Amino acid sequence: MPLFAFYVTVVILGILSMGFQMLGSRLLSPHFGSAIDVWACLISTFLAAFSIGSMVGGAISNLATAPRRRSQFACAVTAVVSLAVTAGFGRGLVGQIEIAFTAVLPGVLASCLALFFVPVTALSTFSPQCVQFLAQRGVAPGNASGLVYGVSTLGNIAGVMLTTFVLIPNFRVSTLLYVWLAVALLNLAALLRFLRAPASS
Amino acid sequence: MKLARCFLVFSLATVAVPAADSGNYVESFDTIYNSLTIEKTGSVVELRARSRRGEALESAVDLSDPLKLMVAYTRTLYTGLFFQPQPSRVLMIGLGGAGFHRLFSAAYPDALLQSVELDPKVLELCETRMAFKSTAKMPVALTDGRMFVKRDKTQWDWIILDAFRGGFVPPHLKTEEYYRECAARLTERGVFISNLHSGTELFHSDIKTIKAVFPQVVLFETEGRGNVIACAVKYRTPDMTQPENWAAVEKAVAQVFEGRLDLAALKAEHMAIPKKQVERARLLTDDFSPVEFLDAMKTNNTGPK
Repeated sequence: MPLFAFYVTVVILGILSMGFQMLGSRLLSPHFGSAIDVWACLISTFLAAFSIGSMVGGAISNLATAPRRRSQFACAVTAVVSLAVTAGFGRGLVGQIEIAFTAVLPGVLASCLALFFVPVTALSTFSPQCVQFLAQRGVAPGNASGLVYGVSTLGNIAGVMLTTFVLIPNFRVSTLLYVWLAVALLNLAALLRFLRAPASS
Repeated sequence: MKLARCFLVFSLATVAVPAADSGNYVESFDTIYNSLTIEKTGSVVELRARSRRGEALESAVDLSDPLKLMVAYTRTLYTGLFFQPQPSRVLMIGLGGAGFHRLFSAAYPDALLQSVELDPKVLELCETRMAFKSTAKMPVALTDGRMFVKRDKTQWDWIILDAFRGGFVPPHLKTEEYYRECAARLTERGVFISNLHSGTELFHSDIKTIKAVFPQVVLFETEGRGNVIACAVKYRTPDMTQPENWAAVEKAVAQVFEGRLDLAALKAEHMAIPKKQVERARLLTDDFSPVEFLDAMKTNNTGPK
């Protein structure tokens, strides 16, 4: 399989993650505002998701073939289902959370955890597995790691800029959340195919 | 070591630069919400917020006459009297330097003027530098303007929306849903008053969005300042877009207004709604509010400093 297509899926993973953060800020702002304290909670949630997702993904990449494939599939399903929940019920959920919490910060944190933590964690599990994918194909581990995280970060930048300057000014946030869901579904399907391909191919 | 000391000096949140004349000062504050400058020259104290286009004047007070309305648009806010001439409960979202408050509380000492301000430093500066004191009749809630409206169930005669962060208005305070929340907190004959900036696409979207909630909207343009005050009511009759139906308050208002506020002159600031541009403008909702992109930030209250 062409390595270029593999890198495209890695870029799209990066776009999905950080573009989602910009959409997340727009989901939160009607309820909690958009000041720096809200951003602090939002960014911390995403970083926690990247952290845990990377560790979980690293553990998955060391599993035997059958459990590794099951885990990869479970992570993909978790990402898609949780993105679907955010797209379908996100606005309503934040509204309920806002009512449930008197103080602002616990409400923001609860909203971030409920809407963003799970999908971003699930998406992040794939980065270490992408490193493993390259390492199994003869790329030195350090180099593989640098390539995957470098390319993924380029996707992060594209996600932030594209979402902020092109998508949010032209489309509804609710529409974009469904776009995210569709792109994630297609991208993860492609990525699973790559990750399951034998190393010799 | 010298370098470290220089760094320490520059990293302090508060930088005070005493001016040459005794009593004058310029101070800067970086809070978690704003970059503020407060400057006293003679008896005048100005509060400014730094933004992409320099500094926007938030408010000013002349300490020798604290009731004087120093910033032009704060006069235009009083056009609310044409629509609800007996304000007994007023909600002001955005304290700024309390430029509106001093005269209002002097004119209507029995009225409740509730302010909502996000930045505690703004309140502190108001109280310590700008001759403002929060009281039982002029309380200040330190919270987000939207959260306050959602959670506080009081019915207000006036709701004034004047929440700026520098020249920038937070998107969640510009949407149809928020205006509906404000309308729900207005008395039946109450008036919603919003400080808008003209000259950008955002201005037309603002008017379209306010009109989507309030059946009647009347605009007043503060001469030469780029500020337009929108007064909106939630009833359909009488037709308040016709000046002859406005309350005749010119002669009945408080004595304290004399020399400080000319309500007859405010009538002359009435401007027509730019219908064609408003028709073409996009409605702002919680789901679609690209406020930052529609707002070219061309204007502030006094022009760049």
